[in-house]
Amino acid sequence: MKNIFNPKSIALIGASGENNTVGFGLADNLLKGKKKRKIFLINPFQKEILGEECFEKISDIKDKIDLAIIAVPQKIVKDVVLECCLKKVGAIIIVSSGFKESGNGKEEEEIKTIVNKYKIPLLGPNCLGIINPSIDLNASFAPLTPKKGNIAFLSQSGALLDSVLGMSENEDIGFSKIVSYGNEADLGLTDFISYLKDDIETKVIAIYFEGLKDGRKFMEVAKEVVKTKPIIAIKSGRSDMGKVAATTHTGTLAGDYEVYRAAMKQCGVVLVDTLEELFDSAKALAFLPKMENGIGIVTNGGGLGVLTVDYCSEAGIDVPELSKITVSSLEKNKSMGKVLVKRNPLDLIGDALSDKYEAGMEAMLKQKDINGLIVISTPQIMTEHEKNAKIVTEMKKKYPLKPVVCCFLGGPLVSSAVKMLEEKDIPNYPDVKRAVKSIKSLIK
Amino acid sequence: MEILSFEETKKLLLKYKLPFCRTEIFNSKEKALLFAEQIGFPVVLKIHAQKIFHKSEIGGVKTNIKNKEEFEEYWEEIQKNIEGKNIEGVLVQEMCGGNEIALGMKRDSQFGPVLMFGLGGIFIEIIKDVSLRVAPITKGEAIEMMRETRGIKILEGARGKKKADLERIAEMLVNLSNLSIKEENIQSIDFNPVMVSGSNACIADFRIII
Repeated sequence: MKNIFNPKSIALIGASGENNTVGFGLADNLLKGKKKRKIFLINPFQKEILGEECFEKISDIKDKIDLAIIAVPQKIVKDVVLECCLKKVGAIIIVSSGFKESGNGKEEEEIKTIVNKYKIPLLGPNCLGIINPSIDLNASFAPLTPKKGNIAFLSQSGALLDSVLGMSENEDIGFSKIVSYGNEADLGLTDFISYLKDDIETKVIAIYFEGLKDGRKFMEVAKEVVKTKPIIAIKSGRSDMGKVAATTHTGTLAGDYEVYRAAMKQCGVVLVDTLEELFDSAKALAFLPKMENGIGIVTNGGGLGVLTVDYCSEAGIDVPELSKITVSSLEKNKSMGKVLVKRNPLDLIGDALSDKYEAGMEAMLKQKDINGLIVISTPQIMTEHEKNAKIVTEMKKKYPLKPVVCCFLGGPLVSSAVKMLEEKDIPNYPDVKRAVKSIKSLIK
Repeated sequence: MEILSFEETKKLLLKYKLPFCRTEIFNSKEKALLFAEQIGFPVVLKIHAQKIFHKSEIGGVKTNIKNKEEFEEYWEEIQKNIEGKNIEGVLVQEMCGGNEIALGMKRDSQFGPVLMFGLGGIFIEIIKDVSLRVAPITKGEAIEMMRETRGIKILEGARGKKKADLERIAEMLVNLSNLSIKEENIQSIDFNPVMVSGSNACIADFRIII
């Protein structure tokens, strides 16, 4: 795995100087990290690509190669794999497609036999590659390199990975490792999960999959990994569930997706419905500690407070009453002024300034059975968003075991405050329902 | 794909301590009647065949048979309904009362044996209120699994109904789990209904597919 995630030298077989090709995308991405490792480009028909010397074949390179990336036409992949094995490369990624996914399982098996014989780990075929943002390694043909962070993302689909990367730009999501794991001829999803278990940069593992190669093995590994790191997954292909032969009731009722759902639950993997939920929860789990059930809600808009309570009740999240101590501490606090109703959700009323937020949050966080907070801030003319953001970050420092998620609403009006929050690892969601679902994923 | 014979089914149920209502298989009316009188009316008559998956649809099931006269009448009726069909025999079974639950197993291509629990009757057929677990499971997991269904409240004695012994059902689920792990040739199992009353639980209808 070291040769895949932190290679000191990479050979790209099938590099291209032609814009809009896989070979070009890979070369371009790899060369962005050329200060940190040696990059060798291989293409027998070109002398120079992107200003770099081009080799005819891998055996022409004198240096030791940690990672060989193969992006050549399907017909010659097998020969190139053999050349790489003879060169004794540390690991191989086959980006090329046209194997098991398109009915050509035989050739994939043959390739697997070759790499197994030489004991060289293989990722792919039919994948996008890998990205390790913290060391400027983009060994993929993804259109961009995301920023570094604590979320590892493993995807069976390459195209979906691209769109997630695009999405991550807007949502300010950072990644520790990204793997497009393709057909899993050799290394598979479970190998990467076990590897990530001890990866210090990774705090949470997010997975997109269509099917599993070995469901029982996955459960076994996941059960171990979730003891130290949360795994969140989204599965496509639920509509297959009708296919099961209806010879027994159990067969009909235990459709594919239902079985997956049960299996994931059993091994501690959180299965979500949408990509948005996948990354909302991943963000919360990467930034914040786990908590017991019971949250407080602070808002400057009564309606949103009630809506949040509704979502909490649907999600099974407790919203405890304020204790007598909390109520009396709020009553004594002069900054609470006009706020007459002291309950959870705590409505600070539209004209609330930051001092009210501070008093409200602090009183709630002090209460024993309130284990986390959702802080809602709507843009009234007098609302001090940035000051509110600052208070939230201070509270996070003061009460590190009680997670706070924010819902600062108002698009461009709150964008600088949101930026302040995210910089301090406090997730902000532009919708109370998303905030509720994310805090739900933190509940033990 | 076929239904396991009655004799084999019985052996398996005994081996894995899965209790079932008293049942025997017959091809002669006289012997069948003798057994019915021995276990006492009311009884159930139903056919057992390797290839007949929907036995009630072809008129192969008669329940709540109260006396000798009814028994003889229904025996003949079933014989007419199954004329020309290949069956193993007709089961004579005691009528057990209680709440209906359903237990099941299907061998999934990805996860291997998957267990199912649900309340019988409309709960399973109409609102599909079931919960699933990949085998093997412990007794604690079995209880947790049962508590995931909405209908569990009925077993726990809602509306003055007699409370069922959840521990007893959990044991059956664990036994079913053991069976499904060890007997790899079995593709799927339906125990539906299983009659539950207090600390008693009896499988009334079984279908084991090999």
